[in-house]
Amino acid sequence: MNLFTSSIIMTLLMLTMPIILTSASTHKNKSYPQYVKTTVSYAFMISTIPMVMFLYSGQEVIISNWHWMTIQTLKLTLSFKLDYFSVIFMPVALFVTWSIMEFSIWYMHTDLNINHFFKYLLMFLITMMILVTANNLLQLFIGWEGVGIMSFLLIGWWYGRADANTAALQAVLYNRIGDVGFIMAMAWFLLNTNAWDFQQIFAIEHENLNIPLAGLLLAATGKSAQFGLHPWLPSAMEGPTPVSALLHSSTMVVAGVFLLIRFYPLMEHNKTIQTATLCLGAMTTLFTAACALTQNDIKKIIAFSTSSQLGLMIVTIGINQPHLAFLHICTHAFFKAMLFMCSGSIIHSLNDEQDIRKMGGLFKALPLTTTALIIGVLALTGMPFLTGFYSKDLIIETANTSYTNAWALLTTLVATSMTAAYSTRIVFFVLLGQPRFNPVIIINENNPLLINSIKRLLLGSIFAGYLIFHNITPTTIPQMTMPCYLKMMALAVTMLGFILALELNSTTQTLKLDYPQNPFKFSIQLGYFPIIIHRLLPMMSLSMSQKMASMLLDTTWLENVLPKSISYFQMKSSITVSNQKGLIKLYFLSFMITLILSFFVLNFHE
Amino acid sequence: MPVVYVNIFLAFIVSLVGLLIYRSHLMSSLLCLEGMMLSLFVMLTVTVLNNHFTLANMAPIILLVFAACEAALGLSLLVMVSNTYGTDYVQNLNLLQC
Repeated sequence: MNLFTSSIIMTLLMLTMPIILTSASTHKNKSYPQYVKTTVSYAFMISTIPMVMFLYSGQEVIISNWHWMTIQTLKLTLSFKLDYFSVIFMPVALFVTWSIMEFSIWYMHTDLNINHFFKYLLMFLITMMILVTANNLLQLFIGWEGVGIMSFLLIGWWYGRADANTAALQAVLYNRIGDVGFIMAMAWFLLNTNAWDFQQIFAIEHENLNIPLAGLLLAATGKSAQFGLHPWLPSAMEGPTPVSALLHSSTMVVAGVFLLIRFYPLMEHNKTIQTATLCLGAMTTLFTAACALTQNDIKKIIAFSTSSQLGLMIVTIGINQPHLAFLHICTHAFFKAMLFMCSGSIIHSLNDEQDIRKMGGLFKALPLTTTALIIGVLALTGMPFLTGFYSKDLIIETANTSYTNAWALLTTLVATSMTAAYSTRIVFFVLLGQPRFNPVIIINENNPLLINSIKRLLLGSIFAGYLIFHNITPTTIPQMTMPCYLKMMALAVTMLGFILALELNSTTQTLKLDYPQNPFKFSIQLGYFPIIIHRLLPMMSLSMSQKMASMLLDTTWLENVLPKSISYFQMKSSITVSNQKGLIKLYFLSFMITLILSFFVLNFHE
Repeated sequence: MPVVYVNIFLAFIVSLVGLLIYRSHLMSSLLCLEGMMLSLFVMLTVTVLNNHFTLANMAPIILLVFAACEAALGLSLLVMVSNTYGTDYVQNLNLLQC
């Protein structure tokens, strides 16, 4: 019993050591990255102790350390909730982070600020741990904001690049919109249940929970890039590949899903929010899978794949299976991080080339990366008995046999076949065929740092699903009997996607140039969503305000109404009225002729 | 009518014709205007003195004052035109044509 609490506290404390020791200037040391990596690996090993203890005895623990303050009737403490979700997620996250840190020693080793980079990665990991183990909403919010800030700093790591700064700002803005929902939920809970602690919230019987659950759904939409607040995730690929692997595939973007999973006792009985979640997730997974079909940047394809899998997790929550969604989070972390690391290896080997139209023929040149990429792709699409199968196939089966929205189910199946399609596209363009890159480069993957980290995640991608699935406590009973066609449905649509994509991609070798049609244009421009939302609204409001301020107020009211209108009117009327032509001599002559004529007329009248 | 009136009247007519018919310089028409004023002054003085019109002894002097003002006005206009164009040619005054 004592070992449980002490090892958790030790894990969390160990992670903060390299940051606290910056006052002793260890962070200027040249081997600081290795120090951070070994710290994370030791933290992983120690955190497996609580996991094994929990799996053996099923005992959950709440550590309540320090009473911060009491505001009238609200008690704020520092408390850690170590239940099923956090105790299993912590070792998984630490394992993936260990591999990513080893990979980023290789990837960023020419960067002068590599110590700074590792400090940022470690701070991100600490805030993620705070988020996962929080027992009250305030601590969760601290972790939530912390991962948002670290995401901003890490996406804009190469801050000299304008696109990177734009992408970082976009991430912060979209997350902020989600935070409004989070704060609304916090305020509702404070007003109606007088507590921010999970135990008290779950114990009280509520009447109508639509408002806080809708707020939490909005928060999950912002953080996990669901449809409507999704453009920041593909733009976040401007950051370095380790950042994409850690934040935007395994750890940070699942924070929104994790929040909804944490609140599953409240969501169990609320059909409205479940339906909203289901439809939102189905929309997201279909839309992002459709966008991934035509992208040309390898990191963007993997980012859209992440977004699609997040939609699948939200769909799982929508059919009232939070434990399955959590299982998918854990298994997805392995192969998605590995896919990003393989793409990082390819990018570095091809001298920073990210466009898949300029890759090809890497099958024999990068053997380990090729192996890892293919296994990652197979795990992603749910090949039987690899990691992804245990969670993804189970989700599709449960969705097929549950009393749910037929449209959401259909779109999830279509998105599953699209997953196979774009995965085939990656493999086809990157690995197969003749090389399309510059021949004068050095392709080398012979670095032990790279090889060990990819190998570790490779073993995880193959075996982790089996190990996790057979050792966790059974929570909900999976559906055992179903018709044969329903059981084979997931496999069948995946095979369909594979074959179709392979055929289409083979025919691209013998095409003549064809101009893109409307569905293609829809897909590659991300459904026109970023263009409309990011440009149209600001342009309209800015141009309207400029016209109002300068044309309406200044030019018209202050200048034109009295002064210029008077002068203009006078000029126009004088031009109209006067018909002088300035012919002075003519006027004088006619005057004199008139005088002479009048003299003659008046004197010689008879 | 005494002959002297005819003489002065003829001087007035000659100046009037000179005012109305001139070629290019605005100054010549202003000079003829002065000539008209002079002949009027002389005619008025001769009439008042010959008819012992004592109450009207002021009239020529007043006429002279007004003639001086008017000459000043005419000269200022001439100077304005001359400032814009450099000369006082009357064919410069064609800006009213629209």
